[in-house]
Amino acid sequence: MIEVIDIKKSLPDGRKVLDGISFKVEKGEFLGILGPSGAGKTLTLRCLNGLLRPDSGSVRLHEENHIYEIGTLKKNELRKVRQKIGVIFQGYHLVKSLTVLENVMIGRLGYINSFRSIFYGFTDSEALDAIQALEKVKIDQLAGKRLSQLSGGEMQRVAIARAIFQNPQVLLADEPISNLDPSNSKIIMKMIRPLAEKFPVIGVFHQPEMTAKYCTRVIAIKEGKIIYDGDPVLSNDQLIEIYGDELKLIEKQHPITIPA
Amino acid sequence: MKIREIDLKRYRKGIIPVLILAGLVFWTAKICNLNFNHILSGFWKGFEFTLKMFPPDLSTLPELIEPALVTLSEALLGTVFGTLLSIPLAVLAASNTSSPWIRNLVRFFISLERALPEIIIALILVAAVGLGVLPGILSLTLGCLGMMGKLLADSIEEVDPSSLEAIQSVGARKAQVIYYGVIPNLIPKITSYALFRFEINVRLSLILGAVGAGGIGYNLVYAFNMIEYHKAMTAVILIALIVFGSERISFFLRNKIKMEASLK
Repeated sequence: MIEVIDIKKSLPDGRKVLDGISFKVEKGEFLGILGPSGAGKTLTLRCLNGLLRPDSGSVRLHEENHIYEIGTLKKNELRKVRQKIGVIFQGYHLVKSLTVLENVMIGRLGYINSFRSIFYGFTDSEALDAIQALEKVKIDQLAGKRLSQLSGGEMQRVAIARAIFQNPQVLLADEPISNLDPSNSKIIMKMIRPLAEKFPVIGVFHQPEMTAKYCTRVIAIKEGKIIYDGDPVLSNDQLIEIYGDELKLIEKQHPITIPA
Repeated sequence: MKIREIDLKRYRKGIIPVLILAGLVFWTAKICNLNFNHILSGFWKGFEFTLKMFPPDLSTLPELIEPALVTLSEALLGTVFGTLLSIPLAVLAASNTSSPWIRNLVRFFISLERALPEIIIALILVAAVGLGVLPGILSLTLGCLGMMGKLLADSIEEVDPSSLEAIQSVGARKAQVIYYGVIPNLIPKITSYALFRFEINVRLSLILGAVGAGGIGYNLVYAFNMIEYHKAMTAVILIALIVFGSERISFFLRNKIKMEASLK
């Protein structure tokens, strides 16, 4: 379980970008974070794996016998906690000069010591596990290919395979379908959805129709505050409240059909 | 009318740098006591002297082969050592992989090394460790280190930060982030720069030979001093072949790397 308690963050100019965000996500939940541009969605997500430290409040990763306070950890402790948190980024964030399989294997770097990873590399069983992660996202036949030979959808699948191979306790997805066409977006959402059965999944999205269909719960952030937390299916009035004028733009890009 | 005025202004602006340059040429020529007759007679004497060196004495070729191989080996070893050492140096000199004070210190060392020509370094090293190939290899290594260190550090700074952040986000250590996120992106550049540097090192090792750092350069100077001009001509031909050959090989390999990179 991952828990966010009253996190606040201000920019150097004093503007509050996160203003008391609190939520808790448990195993079995696929939480979608919605909100207009600049609302603080990605910043919240970055606080969850320590890529950003909140000014106040805490982010807690609960294990059976231990609770990690992510916001206050020292460098080495934070590195160890990051092993437990998988991240799928909007722009895939893969190493272009490595093969698909090598990119997937990067997911487990945190678990092996530097000396072995540099002078020996990965073991055969790790390579086999990485291929199995690629099988789960149905691109195992691309294992030996360079990234430049892949489409956007395939690259995002590599990023998902990397997160699966990491064997995380929490999965974070920062706008994982923003760069994809509707058909690839559905494929990616269908791949992410079942992962929530193993660990909590938290994703930032700009597509309310996708969160309505695939997420188990939605929170909406506006001006650094949570203004909605509940059922993933939102009414038109709720969407207007969340997005305001931006709703027309979103409807144009991703026509919203609220499931019955 | 206005357009004409603007045109004249541009013309007047253009003539000032030309006049400054012409003044500089005359002034520096005066410092060197150079005049047109000097230049002309110099060319003529050079031509006459070159004719005296013909035909090359090919019987001396076997004794020049070994020093020629020494020259090539010096260039190769200087390139390999310099390239290998330049990789950690570049990592320390890049802003995205090093702390600011280490970066500044290493960048200062690189600038300092680049300010000293290899021949000066070789002269110092010949004085310090004596005649032979060692000062040659060391000065070529240092020269390669300065050039490759700077070029690779600049390349590291251009690496996509998002891929580094992703590796960091899985809990990887800094060494792992560099090894898996930075080095793979650099390999084509390292190879290409090293081949280019090898070309430079071949030329430099010939010159370094003349100051006592081993190789065929030394045999050339020795032949001139002994007034063995026909032998010197054989050495010159061999040197030209070495330089031409190394340039062609380097050019071919660099083009191959470029083509492979564009296919990826």
